[in-house]
Amino acid sequence: MGSPNATDSRVISSSVSRRKIIQSGAAATAALAAAPIIQGQVKPLRVGFVGVGGRGTGLLRQLLRLDNIAVPAISDINPQNLARAQKLVSDTGLKNPEGYSSSETDFEKLCQREDLDLVLTATPWQWHAPICIAAMKAGKHAATEVPAALTVEECWQLVDTSEQTGKHCVMLENDCYYRETLMVLKMLREGVLGEPLFAEGGYMHDLRAVKFNTVPNGEPWRLEHTIKRNGNLYPTHPIGPISWWLDINRGDRYTSLTSMSSRGGAMNEFAERTWGKDDWRTKTVYQQGDVNTSILRTAQGRLVHLVYDTNTPRVKEHITRFQCSKGVYSHMMGKMFIDGASLRGGESDDDEGWRNRNMWEDAEPYRQKYESQLWKDKGPTASSSGHGGVDYMLIYRLVKRLQAGLAPDMDVYDAAAWSAIFPISEASVAQRSALQEFPDFTRGKWSSRPAINPDEIV
Amino acid sequence: MATSTRNLNLSRSAALTAALEAVTAGQRGASAQPLTRPVRVGFVGTGDRGSAHLDILLGMDSVEVPAVCDINDAYLYRASRWIKESGKPEPKLYGKHDTDWMRLLERDDLDIVVCATGWKWHAQVCAAAMEAGKHATTEVPAALTEDECWQLVDASEKNGKHCMMLEQANYSEAMLQVLTMARAGMFGELLHCAGGYVHDLRLVKYDPAREPWRLQYSIDHNGNLYPTHPIGPIAWVLDVNRGDQFDYLVSQSTKAVCLNEYAKLHYGEHSPYATMKMNQGDVNVSMIRTKRGRTVTMHYDTNTPHPHTAELRVQGTKGHFSGNLQSVYLDQKSPKPHAWEPLANYRDQYTHPIYKAIDRDRLGKTGRGHGAGLTTALMWTRFLRAIREGATPDQDVYDAAAWSAIFPVSERSVAQGGRPIDFPDFTRGKWQTREPVRLG
Repeated sequence: MGSPNATDSRVISSSVSRRKIIQSGAAATAALAAAPIIQGQVKPLRVGFVGVGGRGTGLLRQLLRLDNIAVPAISDINPQNLARAQKLVSDTGLKNPEGYSSSETDFEKLCQREDLDLVLTATPWQWHAPICIAAMKAGKHAATEVPAALTVEECWQLVDTSEQTGKHCVMLENDCYYRETLMVLKMLREGVLGEPLFAEGGYMHDLRAVKFNTVPNGEPWRLEHTIKRNGNLYPTHPIGPISWWLDINRGDRYTSLTSMSSRGGAMNEFAERTWGKDDWRTKTVYQQGDVNTSILRTAQGRLVHLVYDTNTPRVKEHITRFQCSKGVYSHMMGKMFIDGASLRGGESDDDEGWRNRNMWEDAEPYRQKYESQLWKDKGPTASSSGHGGVDYMLIYRLVKRLQAGLAPDMDVYDAAAWSAIFPISEASVAQRSALQEFPDFTRGKWSSRPAINPDEIV
Repeated sequence: MATSTRNLNLSRSAALTAALEAVTAGQRGASAQPLTRPVRVGFVGTGDRGSAHLDILLGMDSVEVPAVCDINDAYLYRASRWIKESGKPEPKLYGKHDTDWMRLLERDDLDIVVCATGWKWHAQVCAAAMEAGKHATTEVPAALTEDECWQLVDASEKNGKHCMMLEQANYSEAMLQVLTMARAGMFGELLHCAGGYVHDLRLVKYDPAREPWRLQYSIDHNGNLYPTHPIGPIAWVLDVNRGDQFDYLVSQSTKAVCLNEYAKLHYGEHSPYATMKMNQGDVNVSMIRTKRGRTVTMHYDTNTPHPHTAELRVQGTKGHFSGNLQSVYLDQKSPKPHAWEPLANYRDQYTHPIYKAIDRDRLGKTGRGHGAGLTTALMWTRFLRAIREGATPDQDVYDAAAWSAIFPVSERSVAQGGRPIDFPDFTRGKWQTREPVRLG
């Protein structure tokens, strides 16, 4: 491990004014820190891609919408994916990227190139951490699709590598950039909601057809996890926004986790209905319980109730409740209640008055009143992109921050803490919901690290 | 409450009750035994909830109320007046001190004792009532400790008397429709249920004239202090005590800030409540796993600013019910993939038999706030029918014990930082062979 505050001190020193980063290495950054940016002369941020399937290609498209970028190299073991991505880049007038597709580990050669600032990974899950580690060790910043790691050990490897190399590792959690995520953040900063107490949400999304590959955009690799694992296998979409709201790693941190899975059954029923009684998919034992629930506790005494449910027939849900001392927001319902501001019902003296009469109000006026600067500035540009604009925001913020030599909104500690829920929940489920201690990936820095500000424009 | 309003309510519930009795009489059919005498009910506690139950019983034929106990004279004499106004014999009154109910239990003209006191009296009144040869019914929760739960079970088994906790949430029309749909396999194999008591009671807790005990529980305890409204209907759907059983429970609470903040805002910084240590965390979350591998999650939150919710979910391999949305999603049945449809779409086919013959115009006029209208009247009709016929009531002592035990068991888990706690099996293994609850 290098200087424990290497990352932070770099942020602070480079925050003095807008700066550029054009070479890798903390020393190089420090040496360049004094040079002011001359408008229009920012050197391009050079990005190498590993994995350009559906998700990687989508992110590449967002990157190509930005100024001052280059894509010198792309790796994918699928030659068709690679060719499609190369054409996308060259069609925009940029130089045709060099391709790497000779083997599953060809990304290592890509990482060794000297003309890359950032390696962006959108491969299947098990490759995320190894590629990020290889990239950082080769002097590149790393960005990865979710989750960043599959084991607690991998999470620590990411943290250690980032600290040793002075390179960032960003998990690309796009839900952090939803208009509503940033609205709630602004309301918290302005004290409208009071103190956060409790958040409830989850990844609740019927993926049976996706896992069994019976739909065009199937992801059959997910099936293997459902067969072998049992826990919360996909925590980052809900936990990203929730962690921003709770200042996780920046004033608070997760301290413990307990997890419980229901029995399974929905996968087998789907398979039997689709392929009959004797098919291997019907006979398979799926370890993953159909509904998994976890409770996370924080150092500040807050709780998160997190659900993982991708096997049952259901309507998609996300963050269902964010409860604070002065109000509550339900993303699922699009509703808000603010104590003392939202209406209350009649106050008669009978049972109806005795009963609480707090009334929901529509969240839309709040969305307008507490619109983030990011959405005000970039909303119109973003809204044509994937997932309601968040994919653009995600890549825009990453590129702008790195171009300016600033720490990205999400760093290696976030990548580690959010991803670790998978293996830690798995351990708790396997031990009859035994309480698991949650690692402090910041090694104590959580209490003094500055709050996140995705509205800070670079 | 003005007398005129009261009479109106009385006549409403009388009419309603008559309608309900007609329904159940119809179901009973030719095999029904004629009643030889009225059912005689003694009341211990006639405040908010006790008076609601009294109101309903006074609207019923073949019910007498020979004795009433309350330490609050205003409640006691109100009850006495209501009984006389209903044309029933004048009751004997008790209430000289906290344990005057013991004298009431010595009477030999009571079949049933209704306990609607502060929480801490429920179990001892019920256990003593059964020892004295009466059936016991109690407001929720039936007990506050695991020991008390066992006392109720032991007293019931030893004396052959029933103990029913008056959990009216089980009798709501929507929940009985969901139960009917679950039994018909519409949700497939059941996997998970969720429910909660999310009700901003900050104002109520600071109104000690009305319920002096309620705030004290937030000062002294930390767990899920009020589990029965959500767990009652869930336990019926999952056949808890009747084919499945709670296996273990995990519970955690957030820190406590809302009661202090509320006191500071409304009573000033120098109010003792502004700084008093409140043990109860503002939001409590519990998870229960059953022997058959189903899970239940529950919230208890009476301190935070939040609209009242009907939080309840039932999830299976083939479908999903949301109480908040009063909607269902049924695999390959709902019109749009992955989109809710109203629960009401299935009302015609799956309305529970005991609701089928109810006059819906009348149903709409019965609300008195706490659901003391239709669902409570229906619950009483069911209970009295069971007692008259010598049958076991829909909710029995094992339900009272298991549903109430979530309070002390969750408290134990919270105190140990969220460790899993084995759930007591109050049926002593009988859950494996007991039949699912049958209504009607």
